[in-house]
Amino acid sequence: MTRVTKSRLDPAALCRAVSSPKHGAVASFIGTVRSTHAGRRVRAVTYDCFTPLARKELARIKTEAERRWPVHVGVEHRIGRLNVGQASVAIAAGSGHRAEAFAACRFVIEEIKRRVPVWKKEHYATGDGRWLAGCALHRPFKRSL
Amino acid sequence: MSMKRKIELYGRLRDAGLGRAVSVDLPKSATARQALSALNTVFGKKSDLLRGCVLATGDEILSSSDELPSGPLAVLPPVCGG
Repeated sequence: MTRVTKSRLDPAALCRAVSSPKHGAVASFIGTVRSTHAGRRVRAVTYDCFTPLARKELARIKTEAERRWPVHVGVEHRIGRLNVGQASVAIAAGSGHRAEAFAACRFVIEEIKRRVPVWKKEHYATGDGRWLAGCALHRPFKRSL
Repeated sequence: MSMKRKIELYGRLRDAGLGRAVSVDLPKSATARQALSALNTVFGKKSDLLRGCVLATGDEILSSSDELPSGPLAVLPPVCGG
């Protein structure tokens, strides 16, 4: 299960979706909007997204995690304007044992930050805003522009 | 022979004052490198915003030597999801 959505995330439903009676573990990661960054008070964050490629890349990352560990992975990324405390990304991994569930969650969030075309603009208490720096995208085995 | 291509803008590029997409004149068999060069001209003094950007089709990142496919194009800045 992978999803890019403007709707509120439901991490509990995501955990249920990756659960199985054969599993002894479900690990989850929830990314949320924090109230401060680099010494500035944050009111909200806008998540911009190139949706067709983001959907495809989330699906690729899920597949890679499930090939690397014996896990069942679900991942959702929210887009649009989110207030402090709201969840922007939710990942769940169900598996026979905790080690691979934790490892898969960590892998998925790190790959999202590196590969999924999503951009964050922080909106500050002072009324201004700023797009955050990020990682340049690369086509596998080919140079970027 | 040249043709107009619409290229969508994302992230920080939307604050360049150019809207959510720009149109550029490109040769019929232009590469991604040529498209980025044309974008630099359109961005003018704000072309620094294009540093680290790549071009993409609907669901694939293009390398600089790739010929532009038909259909929608987007220019994507460095990413920071999560």
